[in-house]
Amino acid sequence: MRAFGYDIGELVVAHVLLALVPVLVGLVIALPLGWWAHRSPGARRVLVPLSGALYTIPSLALIVFIPILVGTPILSPLNVGLTLVIYTVALLVRSVAEALDAVPVTVTTAAVAVGYQPSGLFFGVQLPLAVPVLTAGIRVASVSAFSLVTVGALVGVQSLGTLMTDGFQQAYPAMVAAGIIGSIVLAFVFDALWLALGRALTPWVRARTGV
Amino acid sequence: MIEFRDVGKRFADGTVGLESLSLTAREGEITVLVGPSGCGKTTSLRTVNRMVEPTSGSVLLQGRDVAEGDPALLRRGIGYVIQQAGLFPHRRVLDNVATVPVLQGLPRKEARARAAEVLERVGLDEAMAQRWPAQLSGGQQQRVGVARALAGDAPVLLMDEPFSAVDPVVRVELQDELLRLQADLGKTILFVTHDIDEAIRLGDRVAVLRVGGRLAQFAPPDELLAHPADEFVSGFVGRDRGYRRLGFVPATALKLTELPTRANGDTAGPAVPGEWTVLLDGAERPAAWLGPDGARHELGSVYVTEGADAASEAAGTLRGALDAALSSPAGRGVAVDREGRFRGGVAPDDVLALLRPDPVP
Repeated sequence: MRAFGYDIGELVVAHVLLALVPVLVGLVIALPLGWWAHRSPGARRVLVPLSGALYTIPSLALIVFIPILVGTPILSPLNVGLTLVIYTVALLVRSVAEALDAVPVTVTTAAVAVGYQPSGLFFGVQLPLAVPVLTAGIRVASVSAFSLVTVGALVGVQSLGTLMTDGFQQAYPAMVAAGIIGSIVLAFVFDALWLALGRALTPWVRARTGV
Repeated sequence: MIEFRDVGKRFADGTVGLESLSLTAREGEITVLVGPSGCGKTTSLRTVNRMVEPTSGSVLLQGRDVAEGDPALLRRGIGYVIQQAGLFPHRRVLDNVATVPVLQGLPRKEARARAAEVLERVGLDEAMAQRWPAQLSGGQQQRVGVARALAGDAPVLLMDEPFSAVDPVVRVELQDELLRLQADLGKTILFVTHDIDEAIRLGDRVAVLRVGGRLAQFAPPDELLAHPADEFVSGFVGRDRGYRRLGFVPATALKLTELPTRANGDTAGPAVPGEWTVLLDGAERPAAWLGPDGARHELGSVYVTEGADAASEAAGTLRGALDAALSSPAGRGVAVDREGRFRGGVAPDDVLALLRPDPVP
């Protein structure tokens, strides 16, 4: 589908990949960090405020500084991706720690007592039970990523944000509006997908007492 | 057999969980650790499966020091039942019970078959197997907890206040269930509770602990009640221990009296004018009292002349006899055999006569 001189389908795919992949990568990084914060009060006192502070760095500043810090080409989509990974980690470390805190101690105690190794305990018991709280955190990170991707357009990284920057330069409000509405719709669609995934993974949450 | 040898535990913050505990839980018996909170009973239980590592002394399980080897492997060979069951909320009942067999390396299908057997054993029907733990009552959850501990076929069970979160009626049911299972399975059970009644009911031997894990007395329940070692133990076993103790005294010498009987539904009046008559159903089981006035009355509690099952003692206990005699509206109790068939009457005076000189040898 072409509009405003762009292949909209291509922009949507770029937008989704650029938002989704960093969320997944960020989640993978946040899991061990959050687990550490959950385990050790000392680690928590450092990790949670530190990750909170990361989130306060302006996105444009990160996108511009990352090439200087890691040596990526200045116009690489990787700069936007890394920025979003940092924001996701910043949001999720606390979420993961709190999601693991929410797992009842009797359950983890029982798991240790029946003979789970630490890895089995994490993947077999703690992580599945952390899903409800964790999903809430991932949804915030995802919505945030889908909106921040558009900032990349300022440094020439294509996404639906490109419609906003170009539309602004060409004084073409319909194009700007298309970019805004498109990115909001995508954010909502993926938010709904995360919600559905979280529900699919937790059928026991809706099990009623006394059925 | 579980052997504690001078086991001590000093926590990182300096508090003493256990001073130096030495005791042996015998093979095939229920050994109960009882005491006030802070007496280290849970700590001692947890040194057996190394959820707590002692700072001194050692714990031997079937003669082997538990400190050797991988703690997770050790734990798969020890059943563990926790307060409030600690079921995995994200697994259906069947898979909760199959947990240990799966960890032991059994294919999932076989593990589930094993789990289904064990669930039946603890009296939960098949319909329960596919439920989520949140869909069960507290008592049912606790049964599943017991089933999960049994599914690994471990010879040793650790039970940490397993029944304290359920209401008293269900608690007694679960205790009976445990005794019934134990009569079949003969596990070596270490059972922790703060409830002295539970300890006395379940324990083959009861260890009373004081704060700091110091052993105040370690004895079979009847001995604990008859001869408390000191003030602490007698205070802990409580004021009505005399009555509790009757639950351990067989009423072998109790002679049953004759009582007039009549078939239930017979519209004629009392069998003997002016006397209470026992109405019997078709299987000779007492159904109600017929008063001298011709009105029907509740039976009250009955005295079962034999132990609860063939394995236990031949005579009922003095406590059962006294309960029956005192709860009957007729001034004498009704005695039945194990199948519930009418055997005779229990006169309060006869029970009291047995109590007067100390009936305990």
